[in-house]
Amino acid sequence: MVIVMSEESHEYQVKVDWTHDRVGTLSVEGKPRIQISAPPEFDGPEGIISPEDLFVAAATSCFMTTFITFTKKMRIEFKSFSCDGYGTLERVEKGFQFTKLLLKAKVTVESEELVPKAERAMELAGKYCLVSNSMKCPTEHENNVVVG
Amino acid sequence: MIDESRLFPVNLVWTGGKSGSLSVEGKPVIKSGSPTGNPEEARYHTPEDLFVASATICYMDGFLNFLEKMHINSNSFECNAIGVLEKVGRSFEITKIEMKAKVVIESEDLRSKIERALELAAKYCFVGNSMKCPITHETEVIVE
Repeated sequence: MVIVMSEESHEYQVKVDWTHDRVGTLSVEGKPRIQISAPPEFDGPEGIISPEDLFVAAATSCFMTTFITFTKKMRIEFKSFSCDGYGTLERVEKGFQFTKLLLKAKVTVESEELVPKAERAMELAGKYCLVSNSMKCPTEHENNVVVG
Repeated sequence: MIDESRLFPVNLVWTGGKSGSLSVEGKPVIKSGSPTGNPEEARYHTPEDLFVASATICYMDGFLNFLEKMHINSNSFECNAIGVLEKVGRSFEITKIEMKAKVVIESEDLRSKIERALELAAKYCFVGNSMKCPITHETEVIVE
């Protein structure tokens, strides 16, 4: 399959402002602000989005958008997509690092004949997910396509 | 502090277009996706936004952590970050993140300690250390 993508480079700008304790605000132009903090494991409060959450979320979301791109290229439809992402943070020589990412995705399609195509789109999404490809740790995939 | 390893789970459910709802248990939902022309989707955080944000927030957390260890205070901390996405081989990758942090402090005496805390925060930012790309840190410490 020919992957047609633009050659240019893109930039993504974010801003973080500390507000109090271990808490701050994440701003991206034109998007809702998100309150962020260190997680409870690192002395942050409960219930606030942490950088660790966003690291795992970035890969999970990228897997979904890449999967959708491939379904469009392959002209196939799907009824639902959900994915549980698990990032493992471990102590390595120089402090902590994410050592593994596991993405368990479930896709529902309308008929049996779409199953191998959806599986192929998931496989390609895993291979071309730019966020996972920007991380040092390996990403494992458990893909599940069901007819429903 | 955690001793050995810790799992960070997220759940994503597709909601139409190229978007979905990201949930972490007990925390507010984040709408995420890639814009497809729908103005509502343009307000959702892209995966690239979240990736760059994760390193930036981790840098802030590290800085706050070192302030506490060093028993010093700052009046403010803000950081602007830009992540560059480029083609690498056959696919894309974030190839660089540039951070510009600004800290306001009360007195000149604190400057060298604050600069040290910023340096250590950059070195021990474990989210940044989990990424392939180099991360640069430009820092500005102002006395007000």
